[in-house]
Amino acid sequence: MNSFLRIKILQLFVVAMFIILAIRLFYIQVIDSSYKEMSDNNVLRYEVLYPPRGEVYDRNGEYLIQSKESYDLMVVPREVRPFDTLLMSRIVGLTLPKLRQQLRKAARYSSRRPSLVVGQLTKDAKLRLDEMNFPGFFTVYRTVRSYPRNIAGNLLGYVGEVDDQMIENDPYYRPGDYIGMSGLEQAYEELLRGKKGVRINLVDVHGISKGSYHDGMYDTIATAGLALTSSLDASLQEFGEELLEGKVGSIVAIEPSTGEILIMASSPTYDPDELVGRQRGNNYMKLLYNKRHPLFNRAVMSRYPPGSTFKLINGLIGQQEGVLKASQTYPCQMGYHVGRGVKCHDHPSPINLRQAVQMSCNAYFCYVMRNILDNPKYGSVKTGLDVWADYVRSFGFGRKLDSDFTGEINGIVPTQEFYNKRYNNRWNSLTVISLSIGQGELGVTPLQMANLAATVANRGYYYIPHVVKAIEGRDSIDRRFYEKHYTKVDPAYFEPIVDGMYMAVHNEGGTARIANVPGLEACGKTGTAQNPQGRDHSTFLGFAPKDDPKIAISVYIENGGFGATIAVPIASLIMEKYLNDTITRPYLVDYVKNLQIPYPYYDNKR
Amino acid sequence: MTTNADITAPYKGHVDWKSLAVYLLLVIAGWFNLYAAVWDDTQIVTFDFSQRYGMQLIWIGVSWAVGLAIMLLDSKYYHMLAYPIYTIVLIVMLATLAFGRVVNGAKAWLVFGPVALQPTEFMKLATALALARYMSDYSFNIHRFSKLLRIGLIIALPVAIIFLQNDTGSAVVYGSFLFMLYREGLNRWVYIILGMVLLLFIGSFWLTPTALLILIILCCVGGNLLQTGELRQSAIYLAGLALCSLLLFLVFNMLAGFDLSFFICLLIATGISIPLVVFHAFRQRTLCTLLYIALFVGSLIFVSTTDYVFDHLQIHQQKRILDLFGIESDLKHWGYNVNQSKIAIGSGGFFGKGFLEGTQTKFNFVPEQSTDFIFCTVGEEWGFVGSAIVLALFCTLIVRLIKMGERQGEAFSRIYCYSVAGIFLLHVLINVGMTIGLMPVIGIPLPFFSYGGSSFLAFSLLFFIALRLDAGSGEFNALKIQ
Repeated sequence: MNSFLRIKILQLFVVAMFIILAIRLFYIQVIDSSYKEMSDNNVLRYEVLYPPRGEVYDRNGEYLIQSKESYDLMVVPREVRPFDTLLMSRIVGLTLPKLRQQLRKAARYSSRRPSLVVGQLTKDAKLRLDEMNFPGFFTVYRTVRSYPRNIAGNLLGYVGEVDDQMIENDPYYRPGDYIGMSGLEQAYEELLRGKKGVRINLVDVHGISKGSYHDGMYDTIATAGLALTSSLDASLQEFGEELLEGKVGSIVAIEPSTGEILIMASSPTYDPDELVGRQRGNNYMKLLYNKRHPLFNRAVMSRYPPGSTFKLINGLIGQQEGVLKASQTYPCQMGYHVGRGVKCHDHPSPINLRQAVQMSCNAYFCYVMRNILDNPKYGSVKTGLDVWADYVRSFGFGRKLDSDFTGEINGIVPTQEFYNKRYNNRWNSLTVISLSIGQGELGVTPLQMANLAATVANRGYYYIPHVVKAIEGRDSIDRRFYEKHYTKVDPAYFEPIVDGMYMAVHNEGGTARIANVPGLEACGKTGTAQNPQGRDHSTFLGFAPKDDPKIAISVYIENGGFGATIAVPIASLIMEKYLNDTITRPYLVDYVKNLQIPYPYYDNKR
Repeated sequence: MTTNADITAPYKGHVDWKSLAVYLLLVIAGWFNLYAAVWDDTQIVTFDFSQRYGMQLIWIGVSWAVGLAIMLLDSKYYHMLAYPIYTIVLIVMLATLAFGRVVNGAKAWLVFGPVALQPTEFMKLATALALARYMSDYSFNIHRFSKLLRIGLIIALPVAIIFLQNDTGSAVVYGSFLFMLYREGLNRWVYIILGMVLLLFIGSFWLTPTALLILIILCCVGGNLLQTGELRQSAIYLAGLALCSLLLFLVFNMLAGFDLSFFICLLIATGISIPLVVFHAFRQRTLCTLLYIALFVGSLIFVSTTDYVFDHLQIHQQKRILDLFGIESDLKHWGYNVNQSKIAIGSGGFFGKGFLEGTQTKFNFVPEQSTDFIFCTVGEEWGFVGSAIVLALFCTLIVRLIKMGERQGEAFSRIYCYSVAGIFLLHVLINVGMTIGLMPVIGIPLPFFSYGGSSFLAFSLLFFIALRLDAGSGEFNALKIQ
């Protein structure tokens, strides 16, 4: 009987043990799914296929940015076996401690996922690495940017490795990816980058590839980035940058009939090739600590007083408001002597609107400004100012123009709240009289001024300035660049202003006579903007030819003195080169190039 | 049982065809599984004798040839040859110790030209035969201490040599004879104490001292209750113990201001209760209560020495135990095998990835995948369904071995069959258990699945002899028919 019980117990024991095994098997195979994931992690290696980044041409089909073949060395730390570190450091050109540091960094990030050891290797280095076949290491095809013309650094921008913040914001990016960091590279990132592909490989325990997963059913190919055609004229841009050398300032030129930007130069600039490759970090720091801020795109980021060029707008507003007729004359004896007064230079008097533009009379526009602000129709100067500010904004001032590159700032157009606050509600048209001549509480960017030049050239409307005129494989660029933006001033009122600008270039007593080049038919307006930090800024805006203009330009040279001193020569040379494709005044080129302006404001800054 | 005794084919009709079928299924499944574990799609030929599956096929052929010979031999020879076989294998074991080759740290291999043998595998068979022979003697009585000592000696001799060979894993297998000994009537206290030791060893890793003490008390009181049926007394005792220790705890901490833990209070209360229980046991004449008291005291001593025992294990054994209990996990070193093995099996899912589709085993993520961790391939490629079928086949085989043992008139055959059942059971439990993280990693093969000629041949011999003994000789058949 006892043995019968024991037999039963033993049989029960056997069955119970097997049931325990089966339950445990059921748990890890059917219930707990984490093992399946771990199995995929073991076996599947996702190899990213990087597409070549889109290239950029100028308006004549010349390369502005090229994509060159390059290779990144990646490492999967857990698959690394002892290897000849010295040999590797020689092949990739890293010092031994730096290589070790990179490997430690990679191990900290993940032992299983690939991380970058060193980027932008030449094909030669890649072939040598392939030959050595270091376990745990592999190379990835990447493209590296090159800038054959070495121009327009700030406009084109540069490409850099994504940081943690960017990865968080956009799941497309993975550590080690490149992204446009500024300029065109940043603005057109989504078109330029293309689409990454992925190849899923099966790997064995040593990380050796064992072929593709499900015969590549889940693989995707990399789609190359789209090529862009920029509206920039490379040789014109290069010429502009040469002229700007040694000066701080910017040139923006626009084709008025399309809004396409022909030049956008900011000085000092940098060679975009410096921000490519291994030395990028060092060069970047050098540029960052340069006191004249070469990485600062002055064309869209600087807020300057517009100076006398702004008189054009006040002339236009006055006519539209009905407080000014083109034939209206005002006297000027070396200035406007009401209130604190505004000084003027020696010129014939009295003069009409055309002459006032031609000779840049301060007093004339003081009268105009007061008439606009003190218009009885608005009851008070405060409302008058708001009406004026509305007009000004319709020209694209005081706000971003919504262009296609990054970094635009708003600029400032003051409103009544601004002055109410500043003057505790007690102010009148005399308080703000410097607005009449583009001084005071106005802040504009060179781009906004070029846009004003284009607006006047078009007699009343503008297209949003943009730097990309065509995208590979697309019929058109963004719709907003095809819309005419009319100002609040009737096109009819532009004629006297244009006449005045033509006279400024062509007539005796004009302020911009250097721009008088035969056959150019240029129109322009100089400006000499007062500057509390030092010497006056030299500025000019204009267009050519007078009828059916092909180019509108604004030049702004910090501390350049009179508009005629430096801004007008530069603008005239550029217009001439663009329209006639010749330089008839080599002495003027030499003059501009030799003119070195001191900048104590920057250079002595700590 | 058949009623027809045929002289020309003494065992015809008595072979347990069902067991043979289960055995054949296991061998076929095992071979295909080995093929899958070794297979690599970069190979050009689909079959290659120099590969492990090819070698294994040769061993299968050899085993079946020997199996056929066994079936043709009269069963009485095993009784006769038991001691000589035991002696010879023991001598070979000693020879291995002297001239053997070291593989994986164990000096357990004898090499003759292209053939390498592991005498350890055959030692199980020899020991099973020797034990069957000794214990089936008419004068044998399992309750006699001198007899037990001899059984111990028969088992201890090979175990000692195996330890000297530094092959701890194989020594564990000899624990499987406890299965047979239980059937033969070995004192249940051996099993109670062993169970307690196992429980306490595991418990000492997982439980706090207080919880462990409570567990020991509950086990002892529970065991005593099962044997004596003193339900009321047990309940009163437990309640009294709880009340006393709580009271002590409160008195010491609140009034006397001692800072005593509950553990100490419970220990004191239990200590005080022991003389009372002893008195009770004497009055009721319940011997087993006294034994449980001894068990309790022994447990306390054992628990306090667990650390000592643990510290004297080899470092890899310590790590494997810590890993098993999830106390210390180092997936890159000690825990790597088991973790990869669990991943392989776990990724198989319900239906598995299919024959030759297992990625974990194919790409060598699982170490020792054709020997100790062969079950990973089963789990990965055939999923839960396949694994459960394989386990069910093993379970059937073991249960049938028990049945075969029980229907023998001969004690020799019964003891032998139980030994075989125990050996198979232990191998399957430990091997499969370790691949799914239920057992510490002990390197013993899975019968018929793991690659290895010696083990395959030895397991086949174990089975075929059991089958032959079950089929019986003409004389025994005649007896059975009557």
